[in-house]
Amino acid sequence: MNRTDVLRYIAGLRNGDPMIISPGLANYTIAEAKDEPLTIYNMELPYTTPMALGIALGWPERRVIAIEGDGSLLSGLGVLSTVARYQPKNLLIFVFDNGAYLTTGSGKAPTATLFGTDIEQLGRAAGMKNTRTVHDLDTAKDVVDAAFAQPGPWLVVAKVDKQDRPAERGAHSLPMYVYEAGLVFHRAALQERSKK
Amino acid sequence: MSKAREVKSSQRSVASTGKAGVRYRQEALEAFYDGFKAAGIDFAVFLPDSMLDGVEQLMIERGGIDIYECSREDEGIAMAMGAFLVGKHPVALMEGSGIGLSALILARGIVQKTPILLVAGHNSTLGERYDYHGATRMVTEPVLRALDIPFHVLFDPADIRRVIAEAHATVVGQRIPVGILLPSHVIREIGEGR
Repeated sequence: MNRTDVLRYIAGLRNGDPMIISPGLANYTIAEAKDEPLTIYNMELPYTTPMALGIALGWPERRVIAIEGDGSLLSGLGVLSTVARYQPKNLLIFVFDNGAYLTTGSGKAPTATLFGTDIEQLGRAAGMKNTRTVHDLDTAKDVVDAAFAQPGPWLVVAKVDKQDRPAERGAHSLPMYVYEAGLVFHRAALQERSKK
Repeated sequence: MSKAREVKSSQRSVASTGKAGVRYRQEALEAFYDGFKAAGIDFAVFLPDSMLDGVEQLMIERGGIDIYECSREDEGIAMAMGAFLVGKHPVALMEGSGIGLSALILARGIVQKTPILLVAGHNSTLGERYDYHGATRMVTEPVLRALDIPFHVLFDPADIRRVIAEAHATVVGQRIPVGILLPSHVIREIGEGR
């Protein structure tokens, strides 16, 4: 299963939902599918889900999406226990697990998932209930549909290959600088919330 | 004269918590809660620590501010930044060692124009009696200085409300994180072993 196929499917369902994206190639796929103002690209390694959690708790009426890699989530696993503690129904965590630190140098450095670490089980051990691991695109689409339709928090681990690296790397640029992102996101959120 | 100054010594009560029997200055706890409310703080994250536990427990008891416990201070700061992004006015409470853990996410907040108010126990100079506070003492202010994050060390409980209000005004007006640091004498009873 290729990461870009799943990401494009998620982007198609997203409908402007707030999204925080961990460092890596996923940023380009999401930006290419549709840049949305409620997006923070290339979050620092351990902080994608924590920032998404803060958004979810601060804006409970809105679905919030965290796009993680295996390496980024493994760098800050404690947050899974915080998610489990507060059980935000509007938080979806998608983890793209390719078993490697794919955007580094050769892209060959393996993550711990290649040696048996199971991210879904880590989530369950932390206390999360809605967890899935998917290995093929059809199943991934079904589970993504369920995550968008049913109360969370959700932890969906997509086991993906590394085939997108040569095609994606350097092929696109992101639509904004980091220093713009906080202003754009904040303004868009305030505007949307002021209408309701 | 601030409200904290108006609290007569005879009106003081003390909150005791835990086996250590920590005794807080009740007027300081009240001043923190009232100061947060008056400043418009509506979202708080914390990792429990002995210096600020009294404030956090009072916030939980009184309500009116959404308060969440995190598993690490840098995680909590990221949560608070997320809350800011959607219109909340967050504060992150922690031991000063948490500032040491949080350089990267604080830097991200500066670059990304996503600020929060920080309140941290401990400081470089006052009241650090124990050797095991040595590392905490070494990282708190230096990390803030390294990132050019303005901070204020509170000396007098009577200043708590005003400092919170003005620090939060800077957070909002300048879109930068601001730190309030808390030596132990400000929040704990004088003379207590700590």
